[in-house]
Amino acid sequence: MAKIRKLSALVLIGAVALSAAGCASGAGGADSDELTYWSMWKEGEAQQKVVAAAIEDFEKETGVSVNVQWQGRDNVKKVVPTLNTNKVPDLIDGSFAKLAPVLAETGQAKPLADAYDTEVDGEKVSTLVPEAYRQGDVLTVEGEDAPWMLPYSLTSDAIWINASTHPELAENPPQTWDDFLSAMDEMKANGETPLAIDGDVAGYNAYWYTSAMVRIGGPGSLNEIAADKTGEAWDSPEALEAAELVQQLVDGDYFIDGYNASKWPAQQQAWADNQAVLLFNGTWIPTETAPYAADGFTYSSFPFPLVDGGSNAERADFIGFAVPARAHNAENAQKLASFFLKKEYQDALGTDAKILPIRQDAAVSEEMSTVKAALDGADAYFLQNDGISFPGYTEKLLWPAINDLVLGKTDAAEFVKTMKSGQAEYWKQNS
Amino acid sequence: MTDAAMVPLPVHAVPPRRRGGGSTIDRARRRLFIPFVGPAFVFYTLLFVVPAVFAIWISFNKWAGAGPMEFVGLGNYARLFSDKLFLRSFGNTLLLLFVVGLAIFLIAFGLTLVLRDMVGRKVARSVIFFPHLVNAMIFGVLAGFIFNPGGLVNTLLGGLGVKDPPAWLAQDNLFPLIMVMLTWITTGYFTTILMAGVDRIPPYYYEDCALAGANAWQRLRYVILPLTWDVFGTCAVLWTISSVKIFEIIWIFGGSTGQGMPPTQTWTTAVYTYVTAFSGESVPAYGAASASAVLSLALVSVLVLLLRRAMKREAIEF
Repeated sequence: MAKIRKLSALVLIGAVALSAAGCASGAGGADSDELTYWSMWKEGEAQQKVVAAAIEDFEKETGVSVNVQWQGRDNVKKVVPTLNTNKVPDLIDGSFAKLAPVLAETGQAKPLADAYDTEVDGEKVSTLVPEAYRQGDVLTVEGEDAPWMLPYSLTSDAIWINASTHPELAENPPQTWDDFLSAMDEMKANGETPLAIDGDVAGYNAYWYTSAMVRIGGPGSLNEIAADKTGEAWDSPEALEAAELVQQLVDGDYFIDGYNASKWPAQQQAWADNQAVLLFNGTWIPTETAPYAADGFTYSSFPFPLVDGGSNAERADFIGFAVPARAHNAENAQKLASFFLKKEYQDALGTDAKILPIRQDAAVSEEMSTVKAALDGADAYFLQNDGISFPGYTEKLLWPAINDLVLGKTDAAEFVKTMKSGQAEYWKQNS
Repeated sequence: MTDAAMVPLPVHAVPPRRRGGGSTIDRARRRLFIPFVGPAFVFYTLLFVVPAVFAIWISFNKWAGAGPMEFVGLGNYARLFSDKLFLRSFGNTLLLLFVVGLAIFLIAFGLTLVLRDMVGRKVARSVIFFPHLVNAMIFGVLAGFIFNPGGLVNTLLGGLGVKDPPAWLAQDNLFPLIMVMLTWITTGYFTTILMAGVDRIPPYYYEDCALAGANAWQRLRYVILPLTWDVFGTCAVLWTISSVKIFEIIWIFGGSTGQGMPPTQTWTTAVYTYVTAFSGESVPAYGAASASAVLSLALVSVLVLLLRRAMKREAIEF
């Protein structure tokens, strides 16, 4: 009797253990009629509605059933633990900056040859994603013959203004750095605060230095400096000059009071409430600040001013699809990815979701028209942080140093010194 | 929760064991050992021990979470000790552990003495305990409303005529602010535990003190402290374990309600570990992150052992 009880207990334990282990069982075969998609959008977001509508049409048209999970921006983080298992989703989307480090640079992304070869609205996908943005094959892993990412939207940045209160800036924006400074001096003379910035968000502070650096040294110049193992690349005059431009903003007292001791979104709220004239930030600003913007607020923008006839490159960060290397339904995933590039969804992204669609011929909202014009007029493009993705480099070295510079705790020379020694140290540890 | 609730086990009552023998109760107990302990053991091993061992293994490798692992031996650990940022994060963890810990215990003990025979102490206890019930993240978010340049505190100060209030949320001021807030959140919790210990001291000891003419200090020194010493020890261990894991309040407090990450001035080892593995801004370094986590674990283990040693006293039965 006792033996039986003991035995049954053991069996029970074994069963529980097995069923726990059994969770990682395999999924469907090669030509299945389903796919799993982990989305970066959350239910209810304008973008999510467009994607959901596209998925519905896709299911009707192809008979493939899409198992979609609206996970939100952490979807890429959640994918990492699945990459070595059989539970990896077939399709994910996200920004280039988030997808590239975990998928492309670890060899976990499938080249999307099929998706790029598909015809959508009678045109090949490869022609729908403008060539200009893909200069230097940023989307292709070295040695592969097809990009690993299929972008459906762009993010960029701009200096945002309220065209209702400052129509002169909308009509005749400052073109050069000197114009920019004198425009801000004028604002100060009128008793206005020129620049709002949420100084607690390191990424926002970093825009200033990255953009200044790109203007002076061209796209990729910061990335090149960062890759120098000795750190001596920081001795270049461009690196110092870019830091001096940022220092001018601090010394000139252009930033809004308290920007060094506030919590996001306090300062962008202040800007939307007309307490400051300018806000240098991403293309999500109109959507993000709309709920608390002052009455009659009209979003407009102009690009980061030119510096001494330097580069007029604009930031073009991709948001798009990627397929993990171990995906079971990679074929269906690529079908859905290219399906989403149909003009109707691209138009909806532009007008309903008010983001920048990747297709050149897609509609854009009024708010984005100035950014779109700037992008169209640019000769080159760069990525956030100038595409730097060395492990921990931005979070632990570059951003803290830029924080100190933008918050006025160090000056340009000090900043360059910190970066030089910090970078030598960084590469000593990381190579 | 309190020791008073524990039923003493009749350890000495067990007769010497003979193989297959013993009383019926003993045999029944042995039979039930596997069915009762087994499931917990299996789950604990599967869900806790195995991942922990795997984490230790990862810490000897360079790994991006996917793709090939590259064995680097103790390289990750050597790196950590030469990384200024890690050392600063480690220093912050120690600050939380010792400075905040000391503050909590002094205040909690003080409160215990005051609350022991205060009128309406039940209400007072609930009020003190309340902050602990609320998720620490809420305080982190709340700090934004209170301490923003145009927030509550500065508005009040402005009303009092303070023209140039401190930059509360400046990067260098954040960590002290976090320490204050943590003290405030946690004190109630430990006060409650300490009070349970003080409450179980039988009243006749105090009567005895009164008869012997002992003053308040002597009563504390000779009655309250010795009789609550084991409770103190438990609390110290609890705080050590939880303080090393403090993460969410810093993550939110640093001003990152979904936007980026807190400034490095406020990082603890837990934050350092998280950023190293999951920052989402660069290639994940799981090996270095695991090494940092393993070091934290080692720190807790050593400190707990030392604490238990230092706090060890003959248990006083009463």
